[in-house]
Amino acid sequence: MSLAAEAFVSQMAAAEPWPESATLYQPLKEDQILLSDCASSLAVQAYLRMCGLPVQVVYKSNAEYMSPSGKIPFIHVGNQVVSELGPIVQFTKAKGNSLSDGLDDVQRAEMKAYMELVNNMLLTAELYIQWCDDATAAEISRPRYSSPYSWPLSNVLAYQKQWEVRRKMNAIGWGEKTLEQVYDDVTQCCQALSQRLGTQPYFFNKQPTELDALVFGHLFTILTTRLTSTELAERIKSCSNLLSFCRRIEQTYFEDKSS
Amino acid sequence: MAAPDELFCWEGAWGLPSVSSDCLTVLAYAQFAGAPLKLRKISNPWRSPSGSLPALRTNQNETLSRPADIIIHLRKQKFNADYDLSAREGADSLAFISLLEERLKPALIYNSWVDSKNYVEVTRRWYAEHLPFPLNFLLPGRMQRQQLETLRLLRGEESLEGGEELEKELYREASDCMNLLSQRLGARKFFFRDSPSSLDAYVFAYLAPLLKAKLPNGKLQQHLKSLENLSSFCSNILLLYFPHDARESSGGQKSSSPPQPEGGDYDHVPNKRRKQLMSVLVALGAMLSYAVLTGILSIQHMQKEALEAPPPDRQTLDPLDEDEEGDG
Repeated sequence: MSLAAEAFVSQMAAAEPWPESATLYQPLKEDQILLSDCASSLAVQAYLRMCGLPVQVVYKSNAEYMSPSGKIPFIHVGNQVVSELGPIVQFTKAKGNSLSDGLDDVQRAEMKAYMELVNNMLLTAELYIQWCDDATAAEISRPRYSSPYSWPLSNVLAYQKQWEVRRKMNAIGWGEKTLEQVYDDVTQCCQALSQRLGTQPYFFNKQPTELDALVFGHLFTILTTRLTSTELAERIKSCSNLLSFCRRIEQTYFEDKSS
Repeated sequence: MAAPDELFCWEGAWGLPSVSSDCLTVLAYAQFAGAPLKLRKISNPWRSPSGSLPALRTNQNETLSRPADIIIHLRKQKFNADYDLSAREGADSLAFISLLEERLKPALIYNSWVDSKNYVEVTRRWYAEHLPFPLNFLLPGRMQRQQLETLRLLRGEESLEGGEELEKELYREASDCMNLLSQRLGARKFFFRDSPSSLDAYVFAYLAPLLKAKLPNGKLQQHLKSLENLSSFCSNILLLYFPHDARESSGGQKSSSPPQPEGGDYDHVPNKRRKQLMSVLVALGAMLSYAVLTGILSIQHMQKEALEAPPPDRQTLDPLDEDEEGDG
């Protein structure tokens, strides 16, 4: 988004209150969505719930192509469409809802750094396992990704996506990594998060921030998604405070709505 | 004790021990940890054991090329600059290194490989001058294509045609990132405690080239210079850990930079005589070969008499021609 457009958006956003009809779009939950998209989508939902902003989740098989940046999820609020957690946080801030206002400069710097840690290691590891591990790609990712399309197109799209992700992995130097090394990276990332969290209820003490939403989105999705092997979830389970952190957020923000 | 590991790096410039951020990361970490490495500064990536730089050849003859892998290897050899850090500080380093890779790296790639002024006048020029002869025509362009591809993949689907908008967005992200680093550093000398750690190595490696290169388009550089604690952090590390390179540059600058006006740079090509001679030789060679190629008929006529058999390609061609004539 250009700066001028962004300034315009934030002005518009500030003028209007959050509408009741806000919607979040993501791919079909049962047969289509993949681990990494599901995690990003859950992170945004958790963030909006923490802000107390109601949003209705809509499942569309072509959500990826509807999104302005090609990434999932995106929200449709009033006459605005915003995708991904970072811009959505900016957007809600312009509307006067922010979770990180209480932090000082150093804390905000640390919060941003940890969010990049999750994106850089957890999200990349999810993508790696989905598309670069041959067993997972063949059994789960390609069939699910191409489920809405009929035969020749489904293959073309799935392999195109796989090709793209693999090229990205090569570009960032993950192409030569083995699956074991990726799991080790995940462990390292979880230990860092676990160290940072310590015994606090949230990363920055009493109040949840967008970092909590992002971490919850990824960890909870990894813990509750069945893959070809349970190794990824096992790596997270070794950090007990992260498990109780996930349970706490689930109970606080998700349970009363579902019951 | 076994022979020390060998580290292959790009040569330095602008008062830095190396021009590439990845090489600087490894060099700085090795200095901080006191690892004895046999340093090979080269300007030809094809002479490195992995075909890219940096590369570490260990004494077991393994080759590592990712900075993170090299640091892990050094750590296993008990050269650990992060030894004093608490677990919490270790976690913070990991987080800030991710921040650098996600936010700062794309802007730095843009700054030196996409921005046309900086690319033509600084990046391509440096590589073209330092690479050996045939490679200096091939590699800079190839490296640029690789970097563009990396940037495109880092940013996701969108193409690089965004031009100014993309530049603004990348630079804003990078400026944000530098502000965050500056806030985290505060008035201290290093990020954690009194001695530098791996995070210091990464920050130094990303920022020092930006600070020291003479860029014609210096938007990002200006921002870094305005953050005093970060820029003095880089200069401090240079002075403390790479005094040789830092001194060389200040000495070199005193003698060479004052008489050089901005535009006069093109007259000061190093090895001017040699290059002139080379171009004359190349031109002569081209003329001669053209003469030989066009004059080939007359030469062959003379050779034909000397050699008993005609050259093999003629032998195969001639019967064919005759066949065709016979058919027709």
